[in-house]
Amino acid sequence: MQRKSTFKIFVLFTIVLVNTGFLFGQNWVVPAEKKAKASPFLFTEVTSKQGEAVYTKNCQSCHGNPGKDNALKSLTPQPPDPAADKMQKNTDGEIFYKISEGKAIMPSFKNILSETDRWDIISYIRSFNKSYTQAAINTNASTSSPVKIRVKFDSITKKLIFSAKKATKKDSVPVVDAETEIFVMRYFGNMQLDSSQQTNDSGIVAFSIPEKLPGDSTGFLKIIVKMNDDATGEKSDTFKLKIGVPTIVPGLTANRAMWNVVSKSPVWLLATYFSILLGVWVFLIYVITRLVKLKKLGKETK
Amino acid sequence: MDNNKNLYENAVSDLLKPIYPNRLFKIWMAFLIVALGVCVYAYTIQLRDGLGVTGMRDYVSWGMYIANFVFFVATSLVGMLISAVLGLTGAKWSAPIARIAEIIALAFAAVAGLVIIVDMGRPDRLLYVFTHGRVQSPIIWDVTVVTTYVVISALLLYIPLIPDLKICSERLDKAPKFQRRIFKILSLGWTGSDEQISLIKKCTRVLAILIIPVALGIHTVTSWLFAVTVRPGWDSTIFGPYFVTGAFVSGCSAVIIAMYFFRKNYKLKDYITDMHFDKMGKLLVLLSLVYLYFNINEFLVPWYKLKKFDAVHLQEMFYGRYAILFWGTQLLGLILPIILLLFRKMRRPSPALVISLFVIAGAWLKRYLIVVPTMEHPFLPIQNVPENFKFYSPTLIETTITAGTIILTLLIITILSKFLPIIPIWETKHNQNESKED
Ligand code: HEC
Repeated sequence: MQRKSTFKIFVLFTIVLVNTGFLFGQNWVVPAEKKAKASPFLFTEVTSKQGEAVYTKNCQSCHGNPGKDNALKSLTPQPPDPAADKMQKNTDGEIFYKISEGKAIMPSFKNILSETDRWDIISYIRSFNKSYTQAAINTNASTSSPVKIRVKFDSITKKLIFSAKKATKKDSVPVVDAETEIFVMRYFGNMQLDSSQQTNDSGIVAFSIPEKLPGDSTGFLKIIVKMNDDATGEKSDTFKLKIGVPTIVPGLTANRAMWNVVSKSPVWLLATYFSILLGVWVFLIYVITRLVKLKKLGKETK
Repeated sequence: MDNNKNLYENAVSDLLKPIYPNRLFKIWMAFLIVALGVCVYAYTIQLRDGLGVTGMRDYVSWGMYIANFVFFVATSLVGMLISAVLGLTGAKWSAPIARIAEIIALAFAAVAGLVIIVDMGRPDRLLYVFTHGRVQSPIIWDVTVVTTYVVISALLLYIPLIPDLKICSERLDKAPKFQRRIFKILSLGWTGSDEQISLIKKCTRVLAILIIPVALGIHTVTSWLFAVTVRPGWDSTIFGPYFVTGAFVSGCSAVIIAMYFFRKNYKLKDYITDMHFDKMGKLLVLLSLVYLYFNINEFLVPWYKLKKFDAVHLQEMFYGRYAILFWGTQLLGLILPIILLLFRKMRRPSPALVISLFVIAGAWLKRYLIVVPTMEHPFLPIQNVPENFKFYSPTLIETTITAGTIILTLLIITILSKFLPIIPIWETKHNQNESKED
């Protein structure tokens, strides 16, 4: 029953996904200001190689090998081959936006891949386009003006408060109106907490944290903050904070189990296996001792 | 009394005569050895280049080798049926063919182990199965039980042979010296004293009882290699008994085929009589009927329900890619033999031989049908792979190696049956005497 309903939900989900694909039509509109976004670094053979690795792991299952036209044909809309015109006529900024946000079946990768990874992939995708020349790189985003983010936890309001300051030549100024998102690190991928917000005039932004987030054995959580401001580019930082509930999850291989190594296999199984083995071989050994006796008897009569 | 003694003397010389190699034997051996050489060459190619030379790929990772393995384990079960079940229930008629059954059992079980090694891409890592094997894995159970069964079969062949070995060492005056020496050593100083006789009887009895659960175990565990998964076509609770009966069917036909050739080539008409073919034929019908019953359960019940994934599997079998093979196997290898063998005339040696050949070919193909189609239908869709990953077809090298295992089995059977008296001499005499006394 459980299985069936999960399955139904899955089917429904797929239908919805597929239909939204139709509803949105073939045009994937990218906001104008995102279109012009450029890579913070130059595409080289090295970046393309790095991109290939990320692509193989995250994209190939749907998009196939670039240039081989072996994308998953069973999806609607079909994922385009990265080497094909449909993909290549995008600007770098468009591709970046599409990878980051996703649409219908195309997953959103902004919480899964770092910006560098995403740009590496684009570098890889572009390596299949002979006529491509990279537009000016986004030097703004260079880390020449470091942003410093601090964090504080308000235990009464259960809010995480971040303040961001940018160092200038003389002193430091608050980072104003920067789009900020925070995530908590999970086993696989990161989970966004609260919705994204903008820093206020003093460079401060607050996020509410759900209660009872499971932390590590002492209650620590890893919080990732990503702050994006057009002038300085993306700044990301990770904080280890004691704001979770201490959780001890016994490892799947901690106890005796069918899937464990022999020394941790279920007792009943060990007992059954070895008692049967012993039971049979005791008789076999008995038979062999009888043969030895038979031989002795033969000698005696001689 | 004198008359009796003469009879015995005749029997001894009749039964020992086949042991001297004749021309036909030499030609047959030469053929087997050359053919085996070709197959070994094919195997060296596989050793050098890896399992890529077979038709097996990511999805179908069990192919002809595993089907062949199941067939070998299956056929070897007949040793238990004839020497234990028939022996313990006091069916005297089966005594002359018990050794044939034991030789078949030993040869098939031993080669079954080899077949598994052939299926390993890195046989040099075989030892790891023992050092790192997990008792939770049916594969370890299988390795354990196959090994045990080989040992029991060997003992069950050897122990009743001890008195005969003594006779051989004394009476085979034209045989080479070393051969007689080996016979002598192996006969463990047999004198035929009452104490020794009772020892042999005791041992045979212990083994005959012991081999029943072990033989049931060997094939039940082999079936579990499949049945402990949830895959369509394997996910079945009757796989154990289904495999065991199927095993008896193929083993019985193997014994009938062997009986026919031994009787003809070793001139044993007086010992392996039409009665034996008749009785074995009846046994084969009985077992085939039980097997048919299990087949109906195994296919009709899922067919009635037609669960999503079972449906894909069964449609492929009933009227898809495997239809010809499936219906051919069921009709020619099971149903037709059952109908024919119900007639007395069909249980005479020659027709019984032909029918048995069909049954054993069907048995082999049936194992193929159990192993391969299921592998081609995994639950997760097969995506973005070359065409030859989706459908399995064995390569020439793979087929040659498989043929090699069959040739090797024939070679072992030939050698054992040539150098040992294929009909128990001492037992025949002993039984005669006992029935005289009764
Ligand atoms: C689950 C399958 C799937 C995965 C995984 C996937 N994509 Fe897609 N992708 C799609 C589909 C389907 C579309 C077409 C969406 C549309 O046109 O509405 C698409 C579209 C795109 C586009 C837009 C092409 C255009 O038409 O302008 C880009 C760029 C893209 N994918 C890149 C990637 C990259 C890079 C990755 C890996 C990080 C990736 N995709 C992983 C399914 C996938």
